[in-house]
Amino acid sequence: MDAFLSFIESSDLSMWIRGESMLAFPTIITVHTICMGLLAGTSSAIDLRILGVAPAIPLGALQRFYPMMWLALAINAVTGVLMVIGYPTKQLTKPLFYIKLSLVGLGVWLVYRIGMEVLSEPGQKAETARAQWLARASLATWVGLIIAGRLLEYTHRWELLGIRAVT
Amino acid sequence: MDEIAPWEQFVRGTALHHFVYTYEPWVWPTCEIIHYLGLSLLLGTVGLFDLRVLGMVRAIPPRTIHRLVPFGVAGFCLNVVTGIMFFSGHPDQYFYNDSGRLKALLMAIAGINILAFYGTSAFAEMKTLPSGADAPMRLKLIAGISLAMWIGVLICGRFLTWFRPPFFH
Repeated sequence: MDAFLSFIESSDLSMWIRGESMLAFPTIITVHTICMGLLAGTSSAIDLRILGVAPAIPLGALQRFYPMMWLALAINAVTGVLMVIGYPTKQLTKPLFYIKLSLVGLGVWLVYRIGMEVLSEPGQKAETARAQWLARASLATWVGLIIAGRLLEYTHRWELLGIRAVT
Repeated sequence: MDEIAPWEQFVRGTALHHFVYTYEPWVWPTCEIIHYLGLSLLLGTVGLFDLRVLGMVRAIPPRTIHRLVPFGVAGFCLNVVTGIMFFSGHPDQYFYNDSGRLKALLMAIAGINILAFYGTSAFAEMKTLPSGADAPMRLKLIAGISLAMWIGVLICGRFLTWFRPPFFH
């Protein structure tokens, strides 16, 4: 594991990401935050609609927001990978990071199932128990994901290989 | 510039400052989490409404997607509260921060834009738009400014870390 972490941290890409330039880490994490807001926010809005808020919004039309959500997810996957390449020891050595990844998987699966089962024709029944459960689970997953993501900044023991975190 | 201005001394004397400062190890992460949840609510509702007015997913009438906006307002209120807590904890880190100042400016522009929307006939005009309708240019301008300002506020907020003043009170 150490050899792998050392290999990544000594790479040019990793050092550039950690470097002085505003274009690297600050921009990468800002893009990550924007897409997180759009993805989690849009999915939450859809969940709220399923749970009964703004019932006049046609369910089928909400599916048209999915391309934007998948794009935001793709961008977050890329920026996320870049950030781990920048600080591999920091992230890969703590359980919370893997919990966060699991929540991403769960969140994506729930968004996909909501799209397939609740939003697509025919059916479009928000009142079913299944739809309600999916919407609640999705909201809870986004909340959990945002909590996990934020806590990543506070729970690491290692900044880089061999270098302990300051906090 | 390392003298503490009178307004900052006042802020540092408040009970809120002492609370945030004393319990910072758990208060700060908790407030940050709430702040991110609030911004997601804001971006996911107001942002979606702006995108609709700008022409995305026209099958939804704007006034129905507008019903989600109160949740965005709730998110914004959460962020105002947590923002005040952040500011009370370390006022100098925000006031003497270029990114912080730009953030405040963008929020002020967003506020004026909100007045331009709800305080004029624009709001009533939005409510008349049916499913499939393309909004008039005036409404698109308001929606575009709104989306740009809130994303700008997010960017400035994220960049606060890297624009910290050289001193630390």
